[in-house]
Amino acid sequence: MPKAIIVQNLSKSFRRYHADRPTTLKEVLLRGLRGLRRIAPAERFWALRDVSFSVAPGRMVGVIGPNGAGKSTLLRLIGGVGRPDQGNVEAHGRIGALLDLGAGFHPDLTGRENVFINGVIAGLTRYEVARRFDAIVDFAELETFIDNPLRTYSTGMQMRLGFAVAVHTDPEILLIDEILAVGDLVFQRKCLDRIAQFKDEGRTIVLVSHDTNSIQQLCDEALWLRRGKLVAYGPADVVAGQYVAEMSAETRRRTPAARPVVRTSTGAELQVNENRFGSMEMEIVAVRLLDLAGFPVTELDSGDPLRVEIEYLAPDPIPEPIFGITVSREDGLVCYDTSTEASGTHLPTVHGPGQITFHIDRLDLIGGQYYVDVGIYEREWAYAYDYHWHVYPLIVRLTGGEKGILRPPHRWEMEDVSVRHASLPTFEVS
Amino acid sequence: MRNPVASPHVRKSLYIYDLLRELVVRDMKLRYKRSVLGIVWSLLNPLFQMLVFIFLSHRVLSLDIPNYPSFVFTGVLAWSWFQSAVIATTGAITGNRELIKRPGFPAAILPVVTVTANLIHFLLALPVPLLFLLLGGGRLTGAILTLPLVILFQFLLLLGLGYLAAAVQVTFRDTQHLLGVFLILLFYLTPVFYDASVVSGRYQIFYYLNPMFHLITAYRAILIQGNLPDLRFLLALGVFVGVLLWLGRTVFTRASYRFVEEL
Repeated sequence: MPKAIIVQNLSKSFRRYHADRPTTLKEVLLRGLRGLRRIAPAERFWALRDVSFSVAPGRMVGVIGPNGAGKSTLLRLIGGVGRPDQGNVEAHGRIGALLDLGAGFHPDLTGRENVFINGVIAGLTRYEVARRFDAIVDFAELETFIDNPLRTYSTGMQMRLGFAVAVHTDPEILLIDEILAVGDLVFQRKCLDRIAQFKDEGRTIVLVSHDTNSIQQLCDEALWLRRGKLVAYGPADVVAGQYVAEMSAETRRRTPAARPVVRTSTGAELQVNENRFGSMEMEIVAVRLLDLAGFPVTELDSGDPLRVEIEYLAPDPIPEPIFGITVSREDGLVCYDTSTEASGTHLPTVHGPGQITFHIDRLDLIGGQYYVDVGIYEREWAYAYDYHWHVYPLIVRLTGGEKGILRPPHRWEMEDVSVRHASLPTFEVS
Repeated sequence: MRNPVASPHVRKSLYIYDLLRELVVRDMKLRYKRSVLGIVWSLLNPLFQMLVFIFLSHRVLSLDIPNYPSFVFTGVLAWSWFQSAVIATTGAITGNRELIKRPGFPAAILPVVTVTANLIHFLLALPVPLLFLLLGGGRLTGAILTLPLVILFQFLLLLGLGYLAAAVQVTFRDTQHLLGVFLILLFYLTPVFYDASVVSGRYQIFYYLNPMFHLITAYRAILIQGNLPDLRFLLALGVFVGVLLWLGRTVFTRASYRFVEEL
């Protein structure tokens, strides 16, 4: 599948200078050679170190991490601002950015003039701005003020105008730094709706935010950075949950990244933070997909029953864990997602090894390639103990001539049309 | 306003043109927005300078130059363009921090914007020396057809200098002030209000090394004497400007990777 954004081994360093580095030519001249030596950077620190990931078109990726983790640097490098020291960034498609919204705005010019300048700076031609002008002003709700100088606008009005221009630039890739606190609540809602609409239209979005809740709600995937390094990149709810868990001091524990690569019974590699996420307080030891007869399967016919056996190990007592199962299509679309909690099954405290089995009586999916993702979660869904993502493949055999997601039990039936044969056209059904 | 185009290359050039235009127009609008006199300001300054020099030439220095008002006004105009563009372009990057940080914004356009805005002031005032000349009984010749070429050379000279100065200013923020001082010196070493032929031979070499000397001489040849400019000097100037522009652009591009960090 073609990718919208490909980031390979990306590293970016910033120079840290001597505190008494000369900032003027005068100082350089006055201090002579000693001053010149101070021009060179004292040290370099890595804002990003060897970060690799890719984003498929139409996906929304949230970037999380503490301050100084390199989130904004990553966002700007994707946008082509600055140059990486190592590695490279490819972005396929026109890039739009919800950053520095008022760039180019000038208080002495009218709203109308500023829309043109800001729109052209954002990447549109004058003709394109003119064509979108009414929509922009309408979105910003500033019809009556548009010919007044910008200095007569409130800060909120200026932000609205900046946002309105930015969302009308028609980007294929949209970069957002923090969910914008633009104007009043009604307008914020409008902005979020607009971002959701962008997503529905199949545009790729990269969002940097401190707010893990909005990342979980809005994004498909999350990317977690810590001191410039990629910690985890995977499903937004899982990665964000894990991030929250690690951030809260009481659940901070040994680094899961130190764990070795484990092989599953089907031979798939389990690599922490690539296809396996979680605190590992409780582990999924084995997952078996079984058919009606109890034999392990990787292929089924549509409508066949499926059994998922999950073997787990809880070295310490774990109160009321939640088991979850997701059937997702190869491209990430979630076809079915359920959990013990959603099914009203409350588990007791578990300790030691054990097994839980999930039965699907009919797997009524259209033919194709799927994954069964399996997870164990903290009882409040705060984070995952162990989550295996895209580890267990499942092929539903193709039947031909059918499209969509579901393949419910079905049949065709036709009334005896011979009576009305004379007056109505008939439909041949095979 | 033109129709939309399908080809990405055409769109790109169209976009760069529109961006340049918007930024230049913004520059012009801001300069005149809240002043009653508006565009007349760009004429008043060289006019007053000219009056001062006319007074000086008659009462103090007794320079004997024919068509002196046109002579001095031409010099003042070309010099004003040079001086204000060099100063403004030096701050083109440091003064547009927010634009530099925007994804996809071509930083290299900013020096072009300031030089172009100053070119427009120059062009707006250009009819004035012609008017003086015609009032004084002079006449225009076909040599005026070479005027755009001389203007182009000055434009490219300013752009080359501008790229260098703008890049240096990012690291050393007093570049603009130092240049201001240097330009005052250069003003007296450029024959703006006098004729370089009065300077003794020993010092002529400094004039030959000063590109503004050649430019102002060329303007005067075309506008006042009605002659073609000295093509040998013009050619040498062209080569110099080409090399300078290449150098400026190279330095600027290399420095531009650090703009975001240092702003």
